[in-house]
Amino acid sequence: MLGRRGFLRFLALPPYVWLAAFLLAPVLLIGVISFRPEPGPIDFGEPWTPSLVQYGRILETASYLRQLAISAVMALIVAASATMLAFPVAYFLAFRAGERASLYLVLLLVPAAVSFLLRVMAWRLMLGQEGGINSALQWLGLTKEPLDLLIYSRSAVVVTLVYVWIPFATLPIYAAMGRIDRRQLEAAADLGAGPWSRFWRVTVPLSLPGAAAAFFMVFIPTVGEYITPRLVGGSETYMYGQLIQDFFGRAASWATGSAAAVIMLVLTVVLVLVATRLVNLRRLTA
Amino acid sequence: MAISRGARCGGHPAVRARVRSTRAFPAALLSATLLLTACGAAEPNELLVLEWAGYEEADFWVDFAEANPDASVEFQIGANDADILAQMHAGSDADVFHFYTGWQQFYVDEGLVREIDTSKLTNWDKVPDDMKALGQVDGKQYYVPWDWGFTSILYNTDHVAEVTSWDALFSEEYAGHISMWDDGPGAVTVSAYINGWDETAITEEQLAQIETDWIVQKPLNLHYWTDEYADLCPEVISGDIWVAYAWQGCYASALYEGVPVAYANPEEGRNSWVGLYGISAESESPELALEFLDAKLAEVTCSNAVTIFYYGCANADVMAAVEDETLIEAFAINDPGILEATNFTPPVTAEQRDAWTAMWTRVKAE
Repeated sequence: MLGRRGFLRFLALPPYVWLAAFLLAPVLLIGVISFRPEPGPIDFGEPWTPSLVQYGRILETASYLRQLAISAVMALIVAASATMLAFPVAYFLAFRAGERASLYLVLLLVPAAVSFLLRVMAWRLMLGQEGGINSALQWLGLTKEPLDLLIYSRSAVVVTLVYVWIPFATLPIYAAMGRIDRRQLEAAADLGAGPWSRFWRVTVPLSLPGAAAAFFMVFIPTVGEYITPRLVGGSETYMYGQLIQDFFGRAASWATGSAAAVIMLVLTVVLVLVATRLVNLRRLTA
Repeated sequence: MAISRGARCGGHPAVRARVRSTRAFPAALLSATLLLTACGAAEPNELLVLEWAGYEEADFWVDFAEANPDASVEFQIGANDADILAQMHAGSDADVFHFYTGWQQFYVDEGLVREIDTSKLTNWDKVPDDMKALGQVDGKQYYVPWDWGFTSILYNTDHVAEVTSWDALFSEEYAGHISMWDDGPGAVTVSAYINGWDETAITEEQLAQIETDWIVQKPLNLHYWTDEYADLCPEVISGDIWVAYAWQGCYASALYEGVPVAYANPEEGRNSWVGLYGISAESESPELALEFLDAKLAEVTCSNAVTIFYYGCANADVMAAVEDETLIEAFAINDPGILEATNFTPPVTAEQRDAWTAMWTRVKAE
């Protein structure tokens, strides 16, 4: 017979098995492939000697490293913008929406039910030279010619990704605000703190774990983003995720693509570790 | 079809009854062996086709579906020629795969394709000899040609004067309104035409020059397109793109939409490409795969390629029956000198393919 603890472990087993099979194993496989000396076709039956040649190929090409840095900065901008814009939305849901909070939350997530690709394509229609925004600007007499900057630029990628991520960034912040003990706000008011002071000195610090979770939830996948820059970025916006995709697809070079992916994974983990070390959430919320 | 063959062979009640009897076991074994041999070990009645996106639509295999209503056809999509080759390398279960000229040798060299018995193709005599030759490697027929077309400069005549050279793609006059195909070998081909180089013998210095030229061209380019109908045509039609590396399908689409466009006859010549189908060396359904390829060449399927995608088809009878003026213009059917002024895509080596693709990746990352 399983004890209570054994039963709980048994219940936790399927997700662990699932993660091991479909997350850990592929990541390990990518790690192994990245050490193959030959970039081309992979024959798993043939013996080979591990080599760092693929890593050298990436690290010795300045433009690849520059793309990695640009992608990290773009991810930083997208994550910071999405988190900041999600914050007031979460605040409204947690403190002002009352009984309708669930309804508003569902409405917020409705666009997420539409395919990611369709939402990005919709932005292409909005930002295009003949698109909604340019047409409106011209109709209002604010511009004479369509603005080229709106589409096929880094700013188009940032705007689109921020839009895509806001609903998801809202969730952890809303959850953190929902856990705030309302008596703390009452105590602050009793001690003479005004609304603004209560917001900055109670609500914001206690929401920071949620905001940090939202930030990383956006930052990590955005570093490796490749669909959005391909659709709205134009030839001047090439992100590191596209490089990985090109190695796997166009160049049929899985080993080089794997090395590029491992470099990005390591960089992302290091950045996240550094950030969590610099921003001591426990101290902030204490 | 093959399922019924299989039911008759492996699942015959008489065979099962005999196997139950131990005394009759040797005889049953012999019978089963003979039956299986006679049946050719019964192919599965299912096909997996490794295809380019869009070709999985029922219109593009309608004759096969009608002739084989019980057959199951699944599609696996490859993003481009490199991706399709990579999937075959990685052990794809595809019975049939589709790729374009320039890549024929790789599948043969790596033992990924089987020879085609053209005597079993009922539509083979409708394929022109020069197209048949494109499907041959070392004198053997490994591939069935199917779709074909041109590559040239598609341009908007409201904004661009007559284009006479591929160097229009590098013209600062059209900055922000140019679109190049996202493809390394394609970029090398264009540069080879412009510089008068032999694209099958590009030197390292020439490749370095090509890389520099395309990096300089990058700011002039609106975007690199990957899908003709999703990325390129809508913006040619909307008027955002004035000069593009394009196939004639987009030209025909723009003409049908009434857009003022022309398809250049550059002094360096147009490029021409042909799509080829091969049968995997590992296919468990080679006979069904052969039927699939034969049906690809049949009239309705081929006509659909012409009227839906505006691509040429290897069935000469279908092409001879084209009467639509826009399609006649798109395929340059009335231009007797067009083939003399066309460069057919030559085969490339694996080293060239890798070097050109790597060059293009660097251009995009720059």
